Amino acid sequence: MAGPGQSEGDQLHTVVSDYMSPRRILAGRALLWFAAAVLFVTAVIQALYTWDRIAFGFENWRPVLYAFIFWGTALCVAQVLVRGEQGKRVLFVLPAVLFVVSMVVFPILFGLYISFTDWNLASPTGPKFNGLDNFRQMSGDPFYWNALKNMVYYVLAVSVEYAIAFGLALLLNAQVRARKFFRVAFLLPLMLSPVAVSWMVGKSMLEVRFGPLANLARFLGWENPSFFSSPEIARLSIMVMDAWTFIPFMMVMILAGLQALPKEVLEAAKIDGAKPWQGFWQVTFPLMLPVSITAIVIRIIFKLKLADIIINVTSGGPGGATDSVTSFIFREYRDRSNVGYGTLLAMIYLVLIIIFVTSLLKVASRWTRQFNQEGAG
Amino acid sequence: MSEQTAQIFVDTDVDIRFRAKWYTGRVLIYGALISWAIVSLFPIYWTVTTSFKLAPDVMQGSLIPWVDFQPRWRGWRSLGLSPATIFETSTVRDEFLKRFMNSVIISLSASTLAVMLGSLAAYGLSRFSYRFGFMKNKDISFFFLSQLILPPVALALPFLVLYKELDLLDSRIGIILLYTLMVLPLVIWIMRDQFRAIPVELEEAALVDGLSIWGAFVQIVMPIALPGMVAAFIIALVLSWNEYFFAALLTSTDAKTLPVMVASQTGSQGINWWSMAALSGAAIAPLVIIGIVLERYIIKGMAAGAGK
Amino acid sequence: MKLDVYERLMAAQINRRNMLKGAASAGAIAAGASTGLGGLMGSAFAQSSLRAEMLNIPGVGVGSPTDSDWQKVGALTLEATKKNVAEGEFADVELTFLGLNNQNLHNFLFRGFLKPWEAYTGAKINWIDLAQADYNARLQQSIATSTVDFDIIEMGAPFEGDVLGKGLASEMPEWVREQIDMDDYVDYLKAPVGTWGGKTYRVSIDGDCHNFNYRTDYFADADLAAAWAAEGNEGPWEVPNTWQKVQAVTKFLKGKKIGRFDTNGYLDPLKGWGGFGFYFLGSRATAYAKHPDDADWLFDAETMKPRVNNPAWVRAIQDVLDVLDAQPADQLNADPGTTGFQQFLAGTGSMLSWWGDIGSNAKTSDSSVVGDDVAFSILPGSDDVYNAKTGQWDTLASGPNYAPNMAYIGWGIYVMARVDSDAKKQKAAWSAAAHVGGKDISLWTAAYPSGFQPYRTSHFNIPEWVGSGYDEGFISNYLASQLDSYNHPNAAIEPRIPGIFQYYSVAEDELAKIYAARSDAQEGADRIAAAWDKITDQIGRESQIELYKASLGN
Repeated sequence: MAGPGQSEGDQLHTVVSDYMSPRRILAGRALLWFAAAVLFVTAVIQALYTWDRIAFGFENWRPVLYAFIFWGTALCVAQVLVRGEQGKRVLFVLPAVLFVVSMVVFPILFGLYISFTDWNLASPTGPKFNGLDNFRQMSGDPFYWNALKNMVYYVLAVSVEYAIAFGLALLLNAQVRARKFFRVAFLLPLMLSPVAVSWMVGKSMLEVRFGPLANLARFLGWENPSFFSSPEIARLSIMVMDAWTFIPFMMVMILAGLQALPKEVLEAAKIDGAKPWQGFWQVTFPLMLPVSITAIVIRIIFKLKLADIIINVTSGGPGGATDSVTSFIFREYRDRSNVGYGTLLAMIYLVLIIIFVTSLLKVASRWTRQFNQEGAG
Repeated sequence: MSEQTAQIFVDTDVDIRFRAKWYTGRVLIYGALISWAIVSLFPIYWTVTTSFKLAPDVMQGSLIPWVDFQPRWRGWRSLGLSPATIFETSTVRDEFLKRFMNSVIISLSASTLAVMLGSLAAYGLSRFSYRFGFMKNKDISFFFLSQLILPPVALALPFLVLYKELDLLDSRIGIILLYTLMVLPLVIWIMRDQFRAIPVELEEAALVDGLSIWGAFVQIVMPIALPGMVAAFIIALVLSWNEYFFAALLTSTDAKTLPVMVASQTGSQGINWWSMAALSGAAIAPLVIIGIVLERYIIKGMAAGAGK
Repeated sequence: MKLDVYERLMAAQINRRNMLKGAASAGAIAAGASTGLGGLMGSAFAQSSLRAEMLNIPGVGVGSPTDSDWQKVGALTLEATKKNVAEGEFADVELTFLGLNNQNLHNFLFRGFLKPWEAYTGAKINWIDLAQADYNARLQQSIATSTVDFDIIEMGAPFEGDVLGKGLASEMPEWVREQIDMDDYVDYLKAPVGTWGGKTYRVSIDGDCHNFNYRTDYFADADLAAAWAAEGNEGPWEVPNTWQKVQAVTKFLKGKKIGRFDTNGYLDPLKGWGGFGFYFLGSRATAYAKHPDDADWLFDAETMKPRVNNPAWVRAIQDVLDVLDAQPADQLNADPGTTGFQQFLAGTGSMLSWWGDIGSNAKTSDSSVVGDDVAFSILPGSDDVYNAKTGQWDTLASGPNYAPNMAYIGWGIYVMARVDSDAKKQKAAWSAAAHVGGKDISLWTAAYPSGFQPYRTSHFNIPEWVGSGYDEGFISNYLASQLDSYNHPNAAIEPRIPGIFQYYSVAEDELAKIYAARSDAQEGADRIAAAWDKITDQIGRESQIELYKASLGN
């Protein structure tokens, strides 16, 4: 594991003449090697025991976990012992990195393995390697492609959510009475569990006979309100419910951004005689771009995982119109125990998301730069 | 904004027109605010009132207690939490309380752990440049972020197998670790912006005064970043309190949480809306209270980071 | 099911059987009777005061029972346990019980029932509650990753292929068989159900079948009758007894009024329900697809070839499509829970296939508003029935073909094999299972909202029900619809093969697509059949055929 590179890139420069005695370095290395040896030996013993090569071992892999934690701690200590000041810097990031790596490496590798097998949990034979068969099945699976298509709609809905969130943030940022009340009120939907929302909103309030929203719709002249019958309306209902819980999230981020805007710039624009509308487009909006992009990207990531509400309210219906990829995989996986195929779908989806989000970030950063340059020019 | 300008002018035609416009503006602003407040609060109101309804009240879509319907304790009785049942032995209440406590312990621990690990990492990433192998700061950040992207379904079975081997199934520790992993990316993202907004000069001054970098972090930076940490903590809390999928998969008796109980209120016999509402109400109440009490930290905390 | 079995169970003989059994297993009854005069209770019609007392907790018409009621029932019925278990015998034993966490049902009840049992025996029970939707997945995962972390499980017979077929369950000891009086089960719940390879594993706590629920006020309404005649419909205005008539009535009822309410006919759940929704297509299809001369109706037992795309099933799908427009608004988003409890019991729609819960909830549940206007019968029949062997539609000499759908075959309690290594634990687990599946307790679960239906011959003792406050006409009618279904010679019993819910689940997805797009029934059915073949191949066709046959008791 290589240490920090050139310190020229650092924001915070430290000038510490750091003399490390050879004994200290040696102690650090020794500790690290010892811990690694302990981990290695425990793991090998347990592996051999598990595969019935040797007769003794532990009941489960828990001791290996402890050995790993010991090794991780030793690695952190050794960084400081061997590297001194540099090591102390590494110490900020190292625990989190170790934690995440150790938590995801095994699941991802195992997940990759599963996704190339034919594994139906009900099958008595267990997983069978089947190469690219799952992949082939996926390419001909209308449900999966349909769900991907729906995801496009769902993601596009983020733009509307963003506009609403921005509007609400502007309202809250204006000089209004009872601002505290409105801020709390607007924030609350974020706190509610999607499961409870699906039941109390999706099923109770949208219930066609007695639900208050259905009554409201009737009052407004919609004769036979039904929120989940036609594909378009059903998808819209899901979007609205999901938006309801997540608009506050974007709103908070944007509001925070608004409050941090330098007041002088706004004042200057006003003195220049800019109308509020112009002021917004020429000053506030560009200044808010970085915050907006963060908010939108995080929101899109959450949107891509949209599932709870769909599973509970429509199960993807009518006829797959509201299916999200996750809710479809969930059915394939949970109701049909088809874990091999389900996991492959999830892995492919993961790759798609990573590509999508990376390019989104790239485009966004380029766009911000351009916008700011134009603004400056 | 406009009211300040209004004061500059004195009683002209323009002013009157302006004032009229100002009033319309106010009406619009408050109209929008109030409508959205209704949109935000009505479902919560609906949940709370429904928990006091009986079947006919639900069927008639009654809205206002004491006017449209007579509130009853039926929903809360089914949880053993009504005045009549609160002192009786109730297996349902025991079950509810057990899950409630698990939810509290798990979400608090996971959020604390995530904020600790995440703040450290975010500080490091905002101050120093690292290189682990081919990965530079940007890649490390993206690596953390990518954990947010992982679809839970992909990891479900691997985690089941892993946890079984590590004897972590149905243990609070196991769930805490998993939730920490789940909320860590968001914490790092929020905290990185926080630390970026804190001027480096502060720490440089501290270093000159003889503090180590860790000393400067703990004594100088952390107090400034505290509102941000609270904000990150609350968001982590919300996510881990409401998590359903892994809780349903990896817990059985000792570590089971509340959302699983809410989700399974449906079943084969239709829905007793009043019980459903009572349980949903009890499940969302802690977060609603936290939202009301700590709301200012959320915006303050995030605002500190957003200025950059 | 064989005809002679049916005949043996003809109504008059049921009474005699009861009396004989009353004498033979007096011990079991005495165990339940607080008076201890069991030996004198020669007639099954003699009400034990205990059973009467129990049935009055909390009483019909006072709303849903609550936790304290369940505990009372559990305490009242503890006598049977006391015979086999000494007080405090299971001190320090901890058991884990996996069951459904249905709202106020299932595990909620078991917790209340077993609380007195825990207090008496000294054992402690830990609970795993699963949502119905998570149940199958969780069970499969536990089995596949060998993380069976429970000792007792509440499970439906369709999963027996997964659990018993893999040798994961503990065989029932003889004393349990006696304590719960297994001979009292209705016929179709006796072996082979609950058995595997000749061994018994299951304590039944539920009998399941779909029956036909209808609104009496609709069919007594003079205006509707007049309109029916005026529109030139065939026959009098009456409760339909074939699907052909159900279709006609449903189409007729669209746009009519009863009083000031809109009328609706038969309610089809058009949304999936984690696999359970498929049973409702099954109920429409069995009369077409289950030929009296053929035991198979879902698969060919010899080849596991799906029959779901044969003309009988396609006709059932087409029937649903034909009345889509006559369904209430938003029906595409209605799952069976909605049609049963939010629609039918709440006053929408006039005909419905459902499990017996509708009847037991109609009068005792907080959410029912139709209590006095409901009646029951076995599922409608069909004028003709498809013969899969000849490929012809046969018209039977005996009249319409009836084939009640024994959907899900009921819940049971099973003990897992992992307790077998510890004799004390094994006894404790079976004692808990026997308490929950006891003869007296089951009368209470059959009478009140519990999620469980009558499943013992002794449940069909009308005076007991009347004594607890039921209207005699209502309860006779309800119980008859159940009993006639259970004992029907042409009942459609689903195969207990591994992964059966996977088949149902994939079918639900395809059906939802067909209904939403109103696409061609045959094409959709062919897609279901193809998906089923794929699942069979994936799980292993040979082993599926073998297990199918094993489940049939061959």
